[in-house]
Amino acid sequence: MIANFAIALFAAAGLLATVRLLIGPSLADRIIALDTVLVSLMGGIAVDAARRENGTNLIMLVVLAIIGFTATMAAARFIEHQKPQHGGAA
Amino acid sequence: MTIVAELFMVAGGLVALLAGFGLLKLQTPYARFHAAGKASPVSFLVAAIGAGIILGFSNAVYLVIAAVAMALTLPVGVHLLFRAVHRSDTGIELEVDELTEAEDAAGHRHR
Repeated sequence: MIANFAIALFAAAGLLATVRLLIGPSLADRIIALDTVLVSLMGGIAVDAARRENGTNLIMLVVLAIIGFTATMAAARFIEHQKPQHGGAA
Repeated sequence: MTIVAELFMVAGGLVALLAGFGLLKLQTPYARFHAAGKASPVSFLVAAIGAGIILGFSNAVYLVIAAVAMALTLPVGVHLLFRAVHRSDTGIELEVDELTEAEDAAGHRHR
C-alpha cells in the first residue's frame, strides 16, 4: 500500500522533469530533463516489481541504465561542436 | 521487514521529487545539472535497496547491476554535459572558472 505512494512520488518527479523538458531554454536543459525522466521511470519500475513481488521486468533496468548513458554522452558531444549561441568572445 | 523496505522506497521517491523540484526551480543551467545529476542517482539507489529487500537475492542481482551501472555512468554523463555547455559559451557569468584557466594553461582550448 505504501509502495503505491512511492510510485506516485516517482511519477510526480517525472512530471516536474517533463515541465523542464518542455520549457527548457537550451538543448542541454532538455537532455538532462529527459535523463531525469528516465531515472524516475527506472525507480518506478523497481518499486512496481517490489509491489507485485515479480522480478520479470528488472532486466529492463540494466538496459535503461546503459542506454541512458549512451544517449547523454552522444548529445553532449553534439552540443560541444555547435556554434556559440550568443556570439560570445572566441 | 516489509515496512523497512517500503520506507526505503518512499525515501527514494522523495529524493526523486527533490531532483524534479531542483530541475524546475533553479536558475542557471549549471545549478540545474547539479540538482539533476546528484539527486537522481541517489533516488534510484535508495529505491533499489528497498526493492531488493522485498524481492530477495536472485532478483536483487539485476538491481545491483543496474545500480552500479547507473552510479558509474550517470555522473560521467552529466559531467560531459557540464563541459559541453561550458565550451559552447552560453554567456553565463561565473565567479570561479577554473576550467578555462586549466584549458588555457594546457593550450588546447579548441575554439
